[in-house]
Amino acid sequence: MAAEFLFYVFALLAVAGALGLVLARHPMNGAISLVVTMIALAGLYALLSAKLIFVLQLIVYAGAIMSLILFIIMFLNIRKEDLPEERGRWLYYIGGSALLIPVALLLIRAVKTLPGVETTIVGGGFGGVKEVGLLLFSKWLLPFEIVSILLLVALVGAVVLAGNRRSES
Amino acid sequence: MIGDYLVLSVVLFCIGILGVVSRRNVFTIFMSIELMLNAANLAFLAFSRLHETMDGHVLAMMVMAVAAAEAALALAVVILLHKHKGNLDSNAFSLLKG
Repeated sequence: MAAEFLFYVFALLAVAGALGLVLARHPMNGAISLVVTMIALAGLYALLSAKLIFVLQLIVYAGAIMSLILFIIMFLNIRKEDLPEERGRWLYYIGGSALLIPVALLLIRAVKTLPGVETTIVGGGFGGVKEVGLLLFSKWLLPFEIVSILLLVALVGAVVLAGNRRSES
Repeated sequence: MIGDYLVLSVVLFCIGILGVVSRRNVFTIFMSIELMLNAANLAFLAFSRLHETMDGHVLAMMVMAVAAAEAALALAVVILLHKHKGNLDSNAFSLLKG
């Protein structure tokens, strides 16, 4: 019963944060709304017994990635008059919703045909660090290595993009 | 119920698409993409819980790594574009238009 109540609280917070991101005019307000969504999603991961992903969501997403985005927004020092003029914004919202609501209803109907499982907290180390780590380094070893190469490429790319080109100019 | 988690995932993903198609601020577009990645993660974890296997957890970790790489590169590109164009309008960044 408590898990049901917590699910609705976290789901409401997540949707409210997502709507705040889409509706907010200044990206700083949107970023703070997105942090609310990330933390609510971390709570939902905990309800799904994903202990490791719950911690990673808080540390990597709500901590590292969002602080990077907030840092860049503050670094660019965006004022109200720097923001792009979005006069027909409400028209785009209405058009986008008219396009997306049928897709969403179709997906929700497809989801409803799945067998229902009560989401009680699973014990026995489900989603713990050791179990997920064992799976990651045995069955998913090749994708893990590919992801490490992707991170290396992103690192090199960021250095190349951010490096000053004094020799060219 | 698992279905509720998947419905929430669908709703968050659609809100993310709405943010991408209806906004012109590059930061909001970028954060909407992050929101869509998070909705996909929620679906992975819900299915993982449904089948009681942990492959979804590993996939969610991979998605997080991809999101981190994407954040680093996209923010570097946004800084460069802001330096060149002086604003954040995605309509101004049409350098590849013939």
